[in-house]
This record gives sequence, structure tokens and C-alpha cells, in this order.
Amino acid sequence: MPFNSLHYIFFFPLVVFLYFAIPSKYRWMLLLAASYYFYMSWRVAYAGLIVASTLVVYVTAIWMEEAEDARRKKFFLLLSVVFNLGILFAFKYFNFLSTSLQQLFDHWQLGFRAPIFDVLLPVGISFYSFQVVSYSLDVYRGDKQAERHLGIFALFVSFFPQLLAGPIARSGDLIPQFFEKHDFDYLRVTDGLKQMFWGLFKKVVIADRLAVLVDTVYAQPTNYDGFALLLASVFFVFQVYCDFSGYSDVAIGSAKVMGYRLMTNFNRPYAARSVPEYWRRWHISLTSWFADYLYLPTVVKRRNWGFQLAVVWATMVTFTLSGLWHGAYWTFIVFGMIHGTALCLEVLTRRQRKRATAFIPPRLYSFLCLIAMLVFVTCVDVFFRASTMRDALFIIPHMTLGTVRDLWGVMEASSSLVAANLLIQGLILDRYDILVAILLIVFLEVVQLIQSKIVISDYLRTRPTWQRWTVYYAMTVAFLLLGSFNESIQFIYLQF
Amino acid sequence: MTQDEIMTALGAIFIDVFDDTSIRVTRNMTASDVAGWDSLTHIQLITAVEQHFGVKFKLNEIMKFKNVGDLCDCVEKHKS
Repeated sequence: MPFNSLHYIFFFPLVVFLYFAIPSKYRWMLLLAASYYFYMSWRVAYAGLIVASTLVVYVTAIWMEEAEDARRKKFFLLLSVVFNLGILFAFKYFNFLSTSLQQLFDHWQLGFRAPIFDVLLPVGISFYSFQVVSYSLDVYRGDKQAERHLGIFALFVSFFPQLLAGPIARSGDLIPQFFEKHDFDYLRVTDGLKQMFWGLFKKVVIADRLAVLVDTVYAQPTNYDGFALLLASVFFVFQVYCDFSGYSDVAIGSAKVMGYRLMTNFNRPYAARSVPEYWRRWHISLTSWFADYLYLPTVVKRRNWGFQLAVVWATMVTFTLSGLWHGAYWTFIVFGMIHGTALCLEVLTRRQRKRATAFIPPRLYSFLCLIAMLVFVTCVDVFFRASTMRDALFIIPHMTLGTVRDLWGVMEASSSLVAANLLIQGLILDRYDILVAILLIVFLEVVQLIQSKIVISDYLRTRPTWQRWTVYYAMTVAFLLLGSFNESIQFIYLQF
Repeated sequence: MTQDEIMTALGAIFIDVFDDTSIRVTRNMTASDVAGWDSLTHIQLITAVEQHFGVKFKLNEIMKFKNVGDLCDCVEKHKS
């Protein structure tokens, strides 16, 4: 059941009520049952994959810890990793490999038919399989003791707030919390609820509103040109952020209500001044997974090639795979590789750039970097959103050069109204809809800018009741008036 | 090689890697004290230290340095 469903609105309060009503020592059982119910309300059979994954990872971790020599230990690690990534591969990448090979065979006119595996991608698999692989690696490295309590371990794998789309938890952070006793703390519970509300606000009010334009334009991009493509691409940048960070906020808030702390997943990514900084702010739980288990070990291992070559190799491997993590499409691979190339250039030219830009005032330089990053992200996200490479390669030149041409036309227009109509002609939204969408984006960025200086919920608590409740009412009214209440609009990251 | 000699050499390496002549290295210094000391410059630093002293650290040693003092002790351990 997705977080934006009516089902969750009934499910969550019931779980929370029971959670605080029963003695602490039985709570893991409740959460485990609730988590499996949560997953099985989508497809019953696919919960079997989670059970299998849980059991394999559970026993291999204990065997690793009890292994007497290093080779046996490594064998059990490989068993766990190959099992989990093997399932992921079978469901997510097998058909991609198969159809790519088929194209190659057809190209060479070989009469071979590659097999196609007709299955549905198990929701959440990319997230929970990464979570259990990180646990196996932590036990292997000796950073975490193998968990002996099978029930708690099964809960760590399936904990419903973060099961479907993260944040991908680390065993060292999350497992000990299942052994703690969490009391009903009014402040914490209301903070959690507010975070859930803000997450849903971002999803239902902002992301789903922007989705209307983005989805129509990206369904048939060749029907559009110039400013329309640019507007849809800029909207997508904010849509995907509100959609996924909104999801993460509901996840983190849900866990917080019950007393669990999940990892922060987003920290104002569009305030980044460089590509490395962007990745430290965007989908943090995944980026840090790749950094800890793939990127840094690869740089360390290859450092005898020389630091620069090691960085280029590790970056390209990591970003290609992290692009592919999102889905088995060439567009995601290209998305990852562009980010990887940009990151290499940044890291390798750090010194030269520092010297070359020394004459620019630091604040101006920082602002220019911010704008350059927004332009970069808007262009690269085209690959993230476009259905095919052909679409992406059509959109990029048409949205850049076409917009220049459109602006040229605008300057010759007789009035601003004519100019505005010229820019948005042929779009599904009218001037009013587009204005509301832009104002919502501005509102989002202002709220986040304030949130980066002060904790808004703490600040509101210090204000008089009438002020506090004015804000709550205004947000609720805005939510009800501006939200698109349509359960069929899925969270984007649930498909990965 | 004494601790003082190692610390002096580390000081020169830090200045070179972080491209900042104002850095004064102390045993208690951590990544949060130096601008630009992230996981990547950390490995750049380690590579430079290994080259300078002609030593080779293990992966889990590299991941577990808490401060410059740990790094210095590890160099000393490998040199002896």
C-alpha cells in the first residue's frame, strides 16, 4: 500500500494505537506482522522473496562470524551477495540484457531468440536487497555483530516505513533501535506527524500538480518545441524532488511517531554548488551506500594506479551502476555516466579552477555555481525522465535552442499577455495553472531555506497558539484546495 | 622515525594536498577541522602519505582513522 492511499490512512493509526497499547517486549511482533501485511497488500506471493532473502542473509552472517578461516568467511559473504543481487538481476535486468543481446543478434542476422522472462518487478526489491547486502558487508568487515534474534532481523529487512523506497537503513543504526523501549512522547509523535504531512503536501500538492504537464509533454515530446519542453523539464526537476523527498518524509515521519530514527535522505539538493555536493544532498542513503561499499573501496584498491586514474575508474564504475540501479534502460546508464564524467572533471580540475576563478568575488562565484548546477541538473534529468534515448536526444537541443528562438519571438510581441500566450500555446495547462505551479515551487524553496536556518516545527512551538494554528489551518486548506487526490499517481521511486 | 618527524612530514603533505599554506597539523585534528577534507581528499591524502613514507595501509585501517594522531600512529607502526 502506498503512503498516499486511503488504505495507509487507516492502517497507520491502527498500528500506532496497537503499538503503544501493548507491552514493549511484544512490539517487534506487531511491527513484523504489520510490515508483512503492508507488503502483501500489494502481492502476497512476492513476500516470499523477502522471507528467502531474510533467511539467507541471517544464516550466512552467523556462519561468517563463526568461520575459522578467511576463505570460508569470504565464501559465505559471496553466497549472500550473489543470492540477493542474483534475485535483483533476474527480476530487474534479465530482460534488458536479453533484449539488448537480441538487438545485437538481429543486427548480425543470427536467427537466435533470446529468452524473455515475463514477470512483474517486485516493488521495493532494489531498496531492501541493498539494505541486506550492506548488512552482510558490515558483518564481514567486523563493523557489526551478526544479529541472532531472527524476529528482529526479519523486522530490520521488512520495517514497513522504509521497505518500499527507503531510506536504505544501516544495520548498525536501525537494529539496536528495535531493542530499545519507545515511550509515547507527545512532542516526538507530533513532530513525526508534521513531517508526514509536509511529505504528503510535497507529493500531493506540488509533485502531482507538476506531473500533469510533465507527463503530457514527455509522453509525446516530438509534438512540442522550445519553451514548452524547457518548462516541462524544469517542472520535472522539482516534481521528482517533491515526489521522492515527500516519500522519504512520510517514511521518516511514520518511523518517528513510533520512536525510530531513520537516516535523512535529502538536504536541499538544488542548493548544491557542485556535482559532488549535489550527490551529498540527493538520495543520501543510496549515495552513501555506493560511497561506502563500492566507490571508496575501489579508489583505495586502485590507488597504485595513481590517484587520478583511480578516481576516474571508481567514479565511472559507481555512477554507471548507480544509474542502472534506477532501472534497466539506456537512459539511466547515460544519466549516470554524465554525472560521473562531470564529477571526475570537478575533482581533477579543483586546483586549476580555484586559481582561474580567484578574481571573482566568492559570493558571486557561489551564486554562479548554483545557477550552473540548476542548468546542469535540468539537462541531465531529461535522460532520467525521457522514455527512450531518441526522445532525450530530441528534447535537449529543442528545449535549449528552441527556447532562445521563442524568447526572440516574445521580444517582438506587442504586449506581455500576447508574449505569455505565445510561450505556453499548445500546453495542457493555462496561464493560471502554470502560475500556481511556479508559486508552489517558490514556496517550497523558501520553506526549505528557512528550514536550513531554523527548525520550523520548534519555532512554531514557541509562538502563540493563534499564530501556530493559523499556519496549520492555512497548510491544511492549501492541501485540500490545491492537492490532486488521485491514488493512481504512483510515487516515482516505487518503480525502481 | 620519531612521532615528531612523522608529524612534520604530515604537515607538509597536508599543505600540499589541501592546497592551503595556513594549515597547522595537530594530533587531535579531524576532517571537520579542515575545509575540503572529504572522503575523496582523505584517500588522496592517504595515497600521498603512503608514497612519502613508502608504506601500504590496509583498507580497514584507512576507513578507521579518527584523527591525525591515528594516522601518525599507523605510519609509525608500519615503519617499525
